[in-house]
Amino acid sequence: MNAPINTLGRLLRSPAGVAGLALLALLALAALSAPFLFPGDPLAIAGAPLTPPFTDPAFPLGTDRLGRNVLAGLFHGAQASLAVGLAAAAVSIIAGALVGTIAGFAGGLVDEALMRVVDAFQTVPGFLLALAFVSVAGASLPVVILAIALGAWTGPARLARAEVLSIRERDYVAAARVIGMHPAEIALREVLPNALPPVLALAAVIVGNAVLIESALSFLGLGDPNIVTWGSMIAEGRNVLRSAPFLSIVPGIGLVVTVLGVYLLAEGLSDALASRKARP
Amino acid sequence: MNTISLSRRTLIRGSALLLVSTALPPVAFGQSGSRLIVAADSEPRNLNPAIVASNGVFFIASKVIEPLAEASFDGEGGLAPRLAIAWEGSDDGLSATFRLREGVKWHDGQPFTSADVAFSALQVWKPLQNLGRLVFANLEAVDTPDDHTAVFRFAKPTPFQLIRNALPVVSSVVAKHIFEGEADIAASEANNRLVGTGPFRFAEHRPGEYYRLERNPDYWGEGEPKLDEIIFRVLPDRAAAAGALEAGEIQLAAFSQVPLTDLDRISKVPGIEVYSKGYEALTYQLGVEINHRRAELANVKVRQAIAHAIDRDFVVRTIFLGYAETATGIVPKNAPEFYNGDVRAYPFDVDKANALLDEAGYPRKDGGTRFRLRLLPAPYFTETRQFGDYLRQALAAVGIDATVVNNDAAAHQKAVYTDHEFDLAVAPTVFRGDPAISTTILVRSGTPAGVPFSNQGGYENADIDALIDKAGETVDTTARTELYKQLQVLVAQDLPIINVADWGFITVASSQVKNVSNNPRWAVSNWADTELES
Repeated sequence: MNAPINTLGRLLRSPAGVAGLALLALLALAALSAPFLFPGDPLAIAGAPLTPPFTDPAFPLGTDRLGRNVLAGLFHGAQASLAVGLAAAAVSIIAGALVGTIAGFAGGLVDEALMRVVDAFQTVPGFLLALAFVSVAGASLPVVILAIALGAWTGPARLARAEVLSIRERDYVAAARVIGMHPAEIALREVLPNALPPVLALAAVIVGNAVLIESALSFLGLGDPNIVTWGSMIAEGRNVLRSAPFLSIVPGIGLVVTVLGVYLLAEGLSDALASRKARP
Repeated sequence: MNTISLSRRTLIRGSALLLVSTALPPVAFGQSGSRLIVAADSEPRNLNPAIVASNGVFFIASKVIEPLAEASFDGEGGLAPRLAIAWEGSDDGLSATFRLREGVKWHDGQPFTSADVAFSALQVWKPLQNLGRLVFANLEAVDTPDDHTAVFRFAKPTPFQLIRNALPVVSSVVAKHIFEGEADIAASEANNRLVGTGPFRFAEHRPGEYYRLERNPDYWGEGEPKLDEIIFRVLPDRAAAAGALEAGEIQLAAFSQVPLTDLDRISKVPGIEVYSKGYEALTYQLGVEINHRRAELANVKVRQAIAHAIDRDFVVRTIFLGYAETATGIVPKNAPEFYNGDVRAYPFDVDKANALLDEAGYPRKDGGTRFRLRLLPAPYFTETRQFGDYLRQALAAVGIDATVVNNDAAAHQKAVYTDHEFDLAVAPTVFRGDPAISTTILVRSGTPAGVPFSNQGGYENADIDALIDKAGETVDTTARTELYKQLQVLVAQDLPIINVADWGFITVASSQVKNVSNNPRWAVSNWADTELES
């Protein structure tokens, strides 16, 4: 089973995939190094308020309205954004893949019921769903992650079901049935792993969306106010947009780079997977 | 060929012009010389100032419905006559006599008489109005010996000092013939189709767009009003007001609709003036409300430590950009009649705060944290939210780990004032000219749950309660003032609430607008003398 290695190899041969991987690696590095480079609370008041960027060596990107270090916020914000993005993607992929596999494998009434639930979730825009959920449940990091996953799990569910529908007719599944494996075991051990790769390709898109939704929530004041996120930095900066635009631009660039990286990686991944399928 | 293409071009040009003209607001076609366009940030559900005595309502309604007297910089006792021309309280505090202005007409042509005042006081201010309920709690009857005299009779002595100080806020007179016979005055349709005696008539309201007020030609003030029309354009986005002013779409933005951070820039724009005067009688106070049900916060040393941990100068300088004053207690400095600065002070001192917390029996544990708190900043102002962020950091410096909980307005009110689900809250309370109107309620015990901006922290202090009750029935002005000065000493000692800063708002107007900010409640006064120079 060297399919994953082959996929990785193909990914590394596609320029988009390499660029995406590089950008994301950079972000991951920033996120991981944040606690070492900028120990302590990035929301702490560190210096004179509204120091412009590139004027004080202690604050290379300046300070905000209350005198908080923008560079520290940027690094810690990368942590929050990536954490939210990855966690939301993980939750929605796991939930979606499970629901999709069960629906596809069981068929019949169970399939109908589950798919109608998926339809119900899909009719409501993901952002609205997240907005409503956070305003009811209160703003904290786990709630925000769940809220985003709530709108994102339907994509993986549909894709997983479609894959499962084709896989369950394969010979090895029939063989598993014949040797008397429990249906749940077949579904989870034989079908699901093979249905997963295309679903995983969706993960990159979900991460990108999750980062954007989290920022939008923070921008509207519905993020966790006790951690620094790029969205909340932009919202803060918006008050002084005319006099200190860098406060909004700096985290905005962070967002652009993240989402760009994620989409490039997704592009590369889907190319790599497509060429794997194309081969007999 | 050439001529055809030319005519086509002209046609396109002509139609483009037509298109542009439809996009222009109708406003642009009037005589802009006498039409004042003002930014409004809210559309109150009930626009009747006799029922809802709040600044959002007054901002629009005070031009239509007038009080008995208005606050004034140079008038006697800080008041200028409006519908009343003279007032006097009896020595026993059981009656107050008002001589009313003659020759005043309601906007529908009916004469204004003492019957309107009696009706407003007994049917509206006392039973329905948020502040009148307190001020007129003991009002029993209003005698009307003639059409231009109203005598208020009280069941218990009511200090005339309080009535006088409250007049601009609580005494908006509504017409008896409009509301008489209504089963439920608070829900009446007439509350949003105002009929008053003021310099402007209520013309129309387009929800989400604008309010239009037009000149009252029969106004009692000679040569007033100076404007033909006032348009309140609804601009809920605060950031939009500055742009609209610069573009000349509006001529005035009050109540700091232009964010403080934009003032420095906009004050340099030619043709635009920034006024920080005109809000002296409606001082907002930035305070930290405390839930005394928490064992840690019930300890006065902890409260004093928190007071020492807050750098008031930093707050004034950074959050309010200098447009505020540091506070020493529950009465602001710009209420000189009552202010007492000779109270225990809490200068910024982190070491002292740490020492007090150690003394109180809450040492730093392993992580350097003494205990955890929930901190709920009120969402109404950018400044209250920012102060919440600052306070969290200030508390962290003394080892108190505060978790900020952000709520919308409705959820915040419920959490703090009804459910008491908070440890510390940041509140923008208002001082309204007399401590008995909306200030003593912040520290006196016994207010039922659900009353916003009252003592909902479970604070009880028999001495403070007794002092407030005594002041409530002291008729002699000097003695009553002295009691409130003592109250400030007690409050500063025991800190049921921690006051940080007092701030007024900023008005930004085109320099064409004249007579701006010429009284201490200017934004919510009648604007009869406001002029627009072309």
